[in-house]
Amino acid sequence: MISALRPMRRLLRRRRRRLVALLAVLGPGVIAANAGNDAGGIATYATAGSQFFYRTLFVMVLVTIALVVVQEMAARLGAYSGEGLVALIREQFSLRIATFAVVCLVVANLGLVVAEFAGIGAAFEIFGVSRYVAVPFAALGIWAAVVFGSYRYAERVFLILSIAFLAYPIAVLLGHPHWGTVASNTVWPHFIANRDFTILAVALVGTTITPYMQLYQAAAVVDRGIGPDDYPRERAETIGGALFANLISMCIIIATAAAIGGTGALQSADQAARALQPVVGSGAKVLFAVGLLGASALAAAVVPLSTAYGLAEAVGAERSVSRHFREARLFLGLFTAQVVVGAAIALLPGNLINLLIRTQILNGVITPVILVFIVVLAHRPSVLGDAVNSRRFHAVAVVCVTAVAALATLVVAQTVLSWIGVA
Amino acid sequence: MARHVSFPAGGLRRERRERLLAQRVVQESLVSVAGLIGRPVRLRGGAEIGRLCDLVARWEGETYPSLTGLLVRVARRRAFVPISHVGEIGRTEILLGSARLDLRDYERRSGEVLLAADVLDHQLVDCDGVQVVRASDLYLASMGGGWRLVGVDVGFQSLLRRLGPTRWRTRPTPERVIDWAAIQPFGIDGAALRLRGENHSLARLRPADLADLLEELGRNERQELLGSLQAASAADALEEMEPDALRTLLHELPSSQAAELVGAMEPDEAVDALRDLDDDEREELLAVMPASAALRLQLLLRYPEGTAGGLMTTRLVVARHDDLVAAVRDRLATEYRDAPSDVDAVAVVDENGQFLGDVTALDLMVAGDDEPIGTLVEGTEPVYVPVAATLETLVDELIDSRRGSLVVVDDDRLPLGRILADDVIDALVPDRGRHRVRMHMP
Repeated sequence: MISALRPMRRLLRRRRRRLVALLAVLGPGVIAANAGNDAGGIATYATAGSQFFYRTLFVMVLVTIALVVVQEMAARLGAYSGEGLVALIREQFSLRIATFAVVCLVVANLGLVVAEFAGIGAAFEIFGVSRYVAVPFAALGIWAAVVFGSYRYAERVFLILSIAFLAYPIAVLLGHPHWGTVASNTVWPHFIANRDFTILAVALVGTTITPYMQLYQAAAVVDRGIGPDDYPRERAETIGGALFANLISMCIIIATAAAIGGTGALQSADQAARALQPVVGSGAKVLFAVGLLGASALAAAVVPLSTAYGLAEAVGAERSVSRHFREARLFLGLFTAQVVVGAAIALLPGNLINLLIRTQILNGVITPVILVFIVVLAHRPSVLGDAVNSRRFHAVAVVCVTAVAALATLVVAQTVLSWIGVA
Repeated sequence: MARHVSFPAGGLRRERRERLLAQRVVQESLVSVAGLIGRPVRLRGGAEIGRLCDLVARWEGETYPSLTGLLVRVARRRAFVPISHVGEIGRTEILLGSARLDLRDYERRSGEVLLAADVLDHQLVDCDGVQVVRASDLYLASMGGGWRLVGVDVGFQSLLRRLGPTRWRTRPTPERVIDWAAIQPFGIDGAALRLRGENHSLARLRPADLADLLEELGRNERQELLGSLQAASAADALEEMEPDALRTLLHELPSSQAAELVGAMEPDEAVDALRDLDDDEREELLAVMPASAALRLQLLLRYPEGTAGGLMTTRLVVARHDDLVAAVRDRLATEYRDAPSDVDAVAVVDENGQFLGDVTALDLMVAGDDEPIGTLVEGTEPVYVPVAATLETLVDELIDSRRGSLVVVDDDRLPLGRILADDVIDALVPDRGRHRVRMHMP
């Protein structure tokens, strides 16, 4: 017998696709840039606010410029070459250099996976559930949902949950921040020369300009068949998306600074949730936890998938992935390994918020490596033809990457020096 | 001939030894391109004049492209050394036969392929295995006095070998090697020649396989492959593609080409594809399509999806009840020859055009030549569905009647189209168990 449900599937699928189309109005640029506002992002921005009040806002302005430049290049590479970033790197660089890039991507993304599971743990801790219970269950659930194919529905739910973070701009308006200080700290160039500030700056870079975002940006542009003809619109969308995403990030910093600024580095998710109190009062914790859970769970599946896909692309095994997902052992193994390792590290004893921020520092150190690849690719006529970086744009891009790299080097140097007891 | 040189996983020991031996022979006659790049190029006396930076081949559609020269990095220039000046190509070095060297910087001439830059690490199609591969290594062999590109390595082991110490790099590891004769490269002069060749294996692929290849290739490769196919076989392949991939493909094609392909698709599939597009894009395609095709599709688009009207194809063979069997048979033969389709029955109508019943191709075949076709449906209850019938009704009707297709009629019982059982199956199991991995958020 035919179950009554089956004839509906095609229609359902179509309706679902309309929903996707609705979300697609947002475009790859908006989604990619806003992927930065995940668990690691929230923790980093919140700690920036609690530790340094509004002082990091100027850094965020610089980071925003860099983000716009980088995302635009990634989108352009996707649109003009019609290929994902990893495939481009494999084709354009020697195998050893390409392998180095891929290893960097894998490490950075693994850091993200750890952050996402830490985020899930932190969200459940707000509800009083131990992370030793929540994280393993979440990992198992996400793994099963992806492998057995019902993830698409879960994805929608998580996406809707993560909308909770749009409460931050309202929190800014209701939280009575010191507008004068906000304005001066945003426009007045400044940098605090101490180790904590430098490290936090790198974490801000790492969480805002994640290699994963560039990967996603290029892939999504290719996926939607956006070519040179559609590029002007895509470009506007990408720039708009990056600006919007960072506006939200800055709202998180401002709202947190207004609520708990000056209390030093963030210690718990509970503390961070207080920034939302002006909006929902005592419901702040719940709202924060819901948003954190949604954002973390969404990325906890998407990032390992994207890494595994990138690796498959690099070794030329795309086909095994798209045809027989469940049979593709290499792919499934990679995905599973990342979820297991990510969840396991998030279970190590220690402060979850600290762990979150450390993963963002790791990302901040790796980001410049990937950026170098992107700048080189975007400067190659053999890849982009007439759409290569103009001389002026290239200069800006090089300055951005150099600045990001200098910051990262500073942090690495400081860390190494502190190991050997010099600093 | 077995095209895949593969290492045996089990079997008799003797057999394994023989294969090993065969493999070693193969292995020794092959030169790895990846291993050769960066190696010294020497004069007879042993003086190094530079390092190999690429190998140049010229390809005019023959089975194995022949090597026409080397690119040697001398100081800061890339100098071209014609193959006639090359004495010996070894695994670890190249000896030149002539000391004359043209030191001008190399500029690519049309028809020339740089093996390391254009082919190695790029996407290729393996037509025998019907898969998209990426070349981990390329192998050269000396054949009939010249060097030719004979095989593509797609093994993971070869990638590891290239990552390892330099001395590993030159040793071929033909673990998964595909004969170049089965390979379709892209973005190369001469490649298109192979694609357009009469008996090319791509032309013999099943539409579903072609669809898989189209889905997996990068954009430029995909368009090149598509451009080389006949419109009809391209349209067949498009019908088999996943809806999302098809939408992307139609979006990235120039609208005239997209319209041509959609016009060549079966009407029901074309309507499905059009429904998935944005309104603007759909209108644009319909506008550049031949008016008759556009009209037909617009008519179908008006029926809601999920009903008989939304699923049917308008390709229909209709005969009047007094037509003679022989005449209908002839007509069917001609029509089928001109435009092969999945039509499996003839719809018989009365003088007012109202539907009387279906005559299957088999019934038609065994019927007497001089019988009016109407006699074949006499006394039977006509099986048809109204244009607004739901999918569930269609399923019930197919189960009850045990037919391969159903005729769709309008309110006046005039036949409008036909629904094939396989389309109903497609509608019931849309994802066919295939699982496209989405690597990101919606």
